Amino acid sequence: MEKQDQAANKNLVELATFMIGDALCGMDILKVQEINKLIEMTAVPQAPSYVLGILNLRGQIVTSIDLGKKLGLGETDLSLDPRNIIVNSPGEHIGLLVSKISDVVQANKERFEPPPSNMGGIQGEFFTGVYKTEDKLIGILDVEKVLRVEEINQ
Amino acid sequence: MQIEDDEILQGFIEESLEHLADIENDLLQIEEAGSDIDEELVNKVFRAAHSIKGGAGFMGLTVIQDLSHVMENVLGQIRSRKLIPNPEIINVLLQASDKLQTMIEDVQNSNDYDIQDHLIPLNEIVEGNVPQAVIESVPTEYLSEDIEEEAEMAPTPPEEFSIPEPAPEPAVVTAPPEPSVTAEIAATPEISTPSSVTSSTTGNAKKQDPVKMDTSIRVHVSLLDSLMTLAGELVLSRNQLLQTISSDDVRNAEVVGQRIDLITSELQEAIMLTRMQPIGNVFNKFNRVVRDLSSKLGKNIDLTIVGKDVELDKTIIELINDPLTHLVRNSVDHGIEMPDERARVGKSPKGLVILKAYHEAGQVVIEISDDGKGLDGNILGASAITKGLITAEQLQLMSDKEKVNLIFLPGFSMAKQVTDVSGRGVGMDVVKTNLDKLGGQVDIISEPGHGTTISIKLPLTLAIIPCQIIMTGGERYAIPQVNLEELLRIPAKHVKERVERVGNAEVVRLRGNLLPLIRLSDVLGIERTYFDINTNKYKQDRRERISDRRGKESPFFKNEDDNTQESEINTVDAEGARSNSDRRYAASSALNIVVVSNGALKYGLIVDRLQDSEEIVIKPLGRHLQQCKGYAGATIMGDGRIALILDVTNLARMAHLTSIDGTDRATEVAMAAEDKVKAQKDKQALLTFRSSEKEQFAVPLNQVERIEKIKRSDIEELGGKKVMQYRGGSLSLLAVDDVAMVQPLADNDNLLVIVFNIASQIVGLLAIGPIDAMEISVAIDGVTLKQPGIMGSTIIDGQTTMLVDIFEVVGALYPEWFENQEVYEVEEEGGPVPTILIAEDSNFFRNQVKSYMTESGYNVIEGEDGAIAWDLLQEHGDEISIVVTDIEMPNMNGFQLTETIRKDPRFSSMPIIALTTLAGEEDVAKGKAVGVNEYHIKLDKEKLMASVHHYIKQLH
Repeated sequence: MEKQDQAANKNLVELATFMIGDALCGMDILKVQEINKLIEMTAVPQAPSYVLGILNLRGQIVTSIDLGKKLGLGETDLSLDPRNIIVNSPGEHIGLLVSKISDVVQANKERFEPPPSNMGGIQGEFFTGVYKTEDKLIGILDVEKVLRVEEINQ
Repeated sequence: MQIEDDEILQGFIEESLEHLADIENDLLQIEEAGSDIDEELVNKVFRAAHSIKGGAGFMGLTVIQDLSHVMENVLGQIRSRKLIPNPEIINVLLQASDKLQTMIEDVQNSNDYDIQDHLIPLNEIVEGNVPQAVIESVPTEYLSEDIEEEAEMAPTPPEEFSIPEPAPEPAVVTAPPEPSVTAEIAATPEISTPSSVTSSTTGNAKKQDPVKMDTSIRVHVSLLDSLMTLAGELVLSRNQLLQTISSDDVRNAEVVGQRIDLITSELQEAIMLTRMQPIGNVFNKFNRVVRDLSSKLGKNIDLTIVGKDVELDKTIIELINDPLTHLVRNSVDHGIEMPDERARVGKSPKGLVILKAYHEAGQVVIEISDDGKGLDGNILGASAITKGLITAEQLQLMSDKEKVNLIFLPGFSMAKQVTDVSGRGVGMDVVKTNLDKLGGQVDIISEPGHGTTISIKLPLTLAIIPCQIIMTGGERYAIPQVNLEELLRIPAKHVKERVERVGNAEVVRLRGNLLPLIRLSDVLGIERTYFDINTNKYKQDRRERISDRRGKESPFFKNEDDNTQESEINTVDAEGARSNSDRRYAASSALNIVVVSNGALKYGLIVDRLQDSEEIVIKPLGRHLQQCKGYAGATIMGDGRIALILDVTNLARMAHLTSIDGTDRATEVAMAAEDKVKAQKDKQALLTFRSSEKEQFAVPLNQVERIEKIKRSDIEELGGKKVMQYRGGSLSLLAVDDVAMVQPLADNDNLLVIVFNIASQIVGLLAIGPIDAMEISVAIDGVTLKQPGIMGSTIIDGQTTMLVDIFEVVGALYPEWFENQEVYEVEEEGGPVPTILIAEDSNFFRNQVKSYMTESGYNVIEGEDGAIAWDLLQEHGDEISIVVTDIEMPNMNGFQLTETIRKDPRFSSMPIIALTTLAGEEDVAKGKAVGVNEYHIKLDKEKLMASVHHYIKQLH
């Protein structure tokens, strides 16, 4: 019995879920450092289009990425009180701008399903899978991939 | 081997390395002194070796102990004058100290080192077997005796002996040591495992680079104390601040804020001080580098080091080492010639390399100069063309300085042949890149035949840099002060005239030079804006060109503005009352230009607003922004917002304004501008004055000797002439109205006397103020107001001004003065009347010069420009005996005319006199170069005529 529990725990992850436009997405909560309201940002001309700007997070310079734009789900509407998810990344923190923060969901990794095959193109690339809860579908975001700097642009 | 107490060991290592750093230079000095032994110095080295020996013995570092022991023996003999140091002995000692250093740096494995080839020669020295320069048997002996298998990998022994550095160290044993090596080593258990061999190899490689990234640093206790005090104060201030916040005491908050501000900056300064290291740490090792290298190359070179005490941030000291080494090696290898070559060109056979560090304008400047052969820009240029780095056209447009700076182009190696000293593919471009990383600037000044000076400007520290804050597009940006040359503001009403445009390049004239302009908003690809002071808002700016400021008279003016900013202004400005012209002169449309440079390249960056200069802390940008090359990082401003730091070099690159391109364009522009100037009327320096209140007169400034202030009572009237006492004699005075029909001299008590020197007599022209000297483009009307004594008129500052012909005035009053003047008398000389060709585009000057000539009895042929004059000369070649030409003329200028004339064998000896309004040194030299015989200032009748007479006489 205990063994079963442990095995279950091992496969359990807590997902921080959020909305990108109308899509519900999630990522491992351990990757999240904090979640902020949108604070004043400095635009960086010449930066990739998905970079919203840079912000001052307690003396640290943090690049903020518009997730909607990056994933090709459309620009995040800044007037609708979006949130910045600050994630840990090697060597720096990076802000991911999302439309809305949703619940924290406990999920069993075993029940992750591969992304539907019709979720192709730019979006499919960034999702490792989907997780079905009773009433909704969560797209599991591959944070590493999202944060990767593509070489083509350079 | 295990050493128990790390702390003691660390202390020993640090101390020993310090000793060794000194030993090297001290040994070199001992060598220099030769038999004239400086006991104090030898003692110092002796003590150093002794304390290393003592420490090593205590730690059980037997090999180090042994080596330092024999070194100490040799030094002891030198000290007691039993041994006279010669370069060979010093060589052995130097090599031994290198070895010691290697071992101390690799202290854990030091007992595994093989030091036989140091011990043997050292012992031989002690035993009186002093190596001489000629003795080749010594090294051969110890080599063959001990480690035979190394003979083949080592170069020939004598060479090895005299060239310490590049020769492979025999100590790097590739095979296990012979059983005969010292007992201590044999006794150590893990002897000569492959790993220990590798570690010794790496240790050896390290030796090439004595300045390492130190993990610890020495700080003076007094500095630490002051840091402690400051920290204490900071804690107190924090307590105060917390108290103030909780009690909501606004007034006190200000005081506390000030206090914290003060303490923080003091603390910052103190902490920066702990990082400061004398540059001598780097400089000192160059004694050895230069010595070894010059002896290897067979050169004789002295190294002078100035400014060892100049302090720089630790990081910079560490990073500056490699570029400096490269530059010093370059100087020694390529800069200084071989002794015989030096003797041939009359230099002392001993070359000189100077390393100098000093403070300048908050930066540290390091100069490496040599008195060698210098860099020949033309050779560099030719080489750059061959390598395909630049085109011949680009080269043509480059200044000498730019040619020399070609050396920094990637892929440019200046060595004619690759030597193992320098020119190993690591070019100067790498040096430049490294220095760029440090925020340094490098510049070369070279005089072929006399030497090269490379100067490097470095910031004192890298962490905190002073920056100029600017605003563009509503965001703040920081420009490092290092790159800042000056700030330039062009008022709106001057924009049109100051900003010129050629092709796509916009430039501004700055003290005679053309400065390429870049719009920050364009480079960054953001919307062009300008800041409207009246509304305190940024507004869109849709001007295509900076210089698109329509003058009032322009018919497009209204349309243009209605289309662009004006419409916005009108919507913003509810009253709509402000007129177009008002806006045009508003400060908002002024141009703010930050003049920046990165050494070779200088350009103007147009920004919306200039703000304060601030000390900022550089923070790196995230990886997603690495591709934005225009930024060097970011910083957090006082209000918590972020400002990007601009990378001046990359911005220029982004704007496609590389150094060569920049000059290319600038030259193009300069040439166009020059043509424009040429097309303009001649410039003339005039002195304006008045005689009566209403009429303004002018005389050519170059005829004026001086101006005196006198009282009317000083004037004496004798024999119908006015005179005054002047410098012990009488000065003849005259007034314009004596000769010309103008209003009489004003009845003032205070008068001015303009003193001229005419016909070798001085004469004073009475005048009243205001007087002014100015250089104007004169369009002189030689008809309307011409009369005796007045050569013509022109308009100066909206006022018609009469030009006084002082020769005529004097001639009318004192005709006798000119009687004994040399005048060509046709009758006297007989023969045909000489003919003079005058080339001059200005009607006025042409007529003026012509009248001088005809008065003297010459025939005159006139040409309106160089081309016409040339045609006339070909037509009347036989008659013309002298050519008088203006310099600035359309179609063909005076220089070109002279050149054309000189090329024609018929006229190769034709005297050519050039006339100029202002004879600049450069022009005179240029004229002489193309074949002008003499230069004269326009309207200086006497000198011109004297010269004409002189040449005519020569012809007859």
